[in-house]
Amino acid sequence: MKKHFLLLALVGLAAACNPGYHLTNRTASRIGVDSVSAPADSGVARFLTPYRQGLDKTMNEVLTHTTGRIEKGQPDGPLNDLLTDALLQQATQRYGKPIDCSHLNYGGIRNNLPQGDITTGSIFEVMPFDNQLVVLTLTGTMLEQLLNHFANGNKLVVGGLRARLHDGKTQSVTFTNGRTLRPNETYTIVTSDYVADGGDNASFLKNPVRRETLNYLMRDALIDYFRQQGKSGQPINPTSDGRISLE
Amino acid sequence: MDVLASNRRQFLKFLGSAAVIGSIAPTALAHAGGMGKPKATALTILHTNDVHSRLDPFPMDGSRNAGRGGVARRATIIRQIRHEQENVFLFDAGDIFQGTPYFNLYKGEPEILAMNQLGYDAGTIGNHDFDGGIDNMVTQFGKARFPLLIANYDFKNTVLDGRTTPYKVFAKDGIRLGVFGLGIKPEGLIPKDAYRETKYLDPIEIGNDVAARLRNDQKCDYVICLSHLGFKYDGPTVSDNVLAAQTRHIDGIIGGHTHTFLDAPVLVNNADGQPVWINQVGFAGINLGRIDLTFERGKASMAGQSVQVN
Repeated sequence: MKKHFLLLALVGLAAACNPGYHLTNRTASRIGVDSVSAPADSGVARFLTPYRQGLDKTMNEVLTHTTGRIEKGQPDGPLNDLLTDALLQQATQRYGKPIDCSHLNYGGIRNNLPQGDITTGSIFEVMPFDNQLVVLTLTGTMLEQLLNHFANGNKLVVGGLRARLHDGKTQSVTFTNGRTLRPNETYTIVTSDYVADGGDNASFLKNPVRRETLNYLMRDALIDYFRQQGKSGQPINPTSDGRISLE
Repeated sequence: MDVLASNRRQFLKFLGSAAVIGSIAPTALAHAGGMGKPKATALTILHTNDVHSRLDPFPMDGSRNAGRGGVARRATIIRQIRHEQENVFLFDAGDIFQGTPYFNLYKGEPEILAMNQLGYDAGTIGNHDFDGGIDNMVTQFGKARFPLLIANYDFKNTVLDGRTTPYKVFAKDGIRLGVFGLGIKPEGLIPKDAYRETKYLDPIEIGNDVAARLRNDQKCDYVICLSHLGFKYDGPTVSDNVLAAQTRHIDGIIGGHTHTFLDAPVLVNNADGQPVWINQVGFAGINLGRIDLTFERGKASMAGQSVQVN
């Protein structure tokens, strides 16, 4: 009863002169969220279940198989070759005309592929980012600059061409499609929007002859590629073709 | 790591507790009815930042965060606190989206619906919340039962126009809590295709304006900024530390973006020399931040503003 009276009196006061409030004390704590601090709320857990089941179903789709673990590596890991070949093939299909070569930044390959089943989840682990595929038209001079930029530190990951690296410089580039690298001719290269936007210190790529976005996520291109491989019934072997060699 | 180390040393705490508050009662109130001690009123602010679609706890794969986080556990903790405290608010400082395949598959729906279930009162927009594109923001934010507060993004020429609001005032037990949001500069960080014609406005200028409006026009007793600017940077880049120091009328900043694990809020004096609390609790829902505020009627006295730095 007394409590009610106090509350009413305060409300009356607020209406009379609205003095507002002032802070008299503040304290803070950081609460760790783990199995010790709290059990899962059953309502929220129930709500999540169908989403998780859908996720498991999508992520657990077996796309294809490998005969062994496929790893990235410098200068020419089997995964480097596999991914750039896959991107070149898928991008060419989407582009509707030939593309001379493909490129991936080495740091963008986030995991290796396991031996056995390759699932959608495996591809998400290799390529978690929502990077878009971009086709750049570059002069031979600009393409050589790109190759040299990524050859520095032996991190050149490419498809559609072979090259020898000497002291972080690209030597004797040969295209799979038979073209020759000449400074004043133009070439098409498919890479990520991240690199095309100047990521990995490639700011010199911001002014290409032409830039076309494929509206095709790198990861989706890889998933499509591996699913297609699976339909052939042939497992993928962890081999590299020696396209990048050191002198 | 520097941030972590320095913040351990800089543990800050306000002097005084509920037990001694009566001794600094404003005279106006004591005279009013001769009722003795005024009623102290408390608000509890719970907060997250950069949850990044981490709905499930991290998998038990031996990694550093294995088994930590999880939205269902967070729900339990929040429910317990709401059971113990009367006036509980729950806020998020952005980057709700991106980081697990949940986002890749469902585009943010379970993240938003889970936040509805947990009873979030407001959130702000982080750079990764643009990752599904601005149309997706309209779709997913449309499912939210809480407002997305953002004062320095002008969405006028985008589909998000009218779907966000700069600030919201919450009133509980007569206390007015003003909350507004500030976002990071999209250029160079977010693909242009994703943010399109979103205009970024100076967070210091806007922060100052909105905070002053909340304090003076909206008569807010406490003003909180939900910020996705980031805790602190080398160089002049605007951050929560810069925002706190160069503005007036912001009492607390709940930050995000830099995934900073603060053990306790960091205190920065504002342009008027008043103490601003900056807090941020890591990422991925590994932690829930909690700030307890106690208020009394009347104008502030200096005794209530004393601060101890250990």
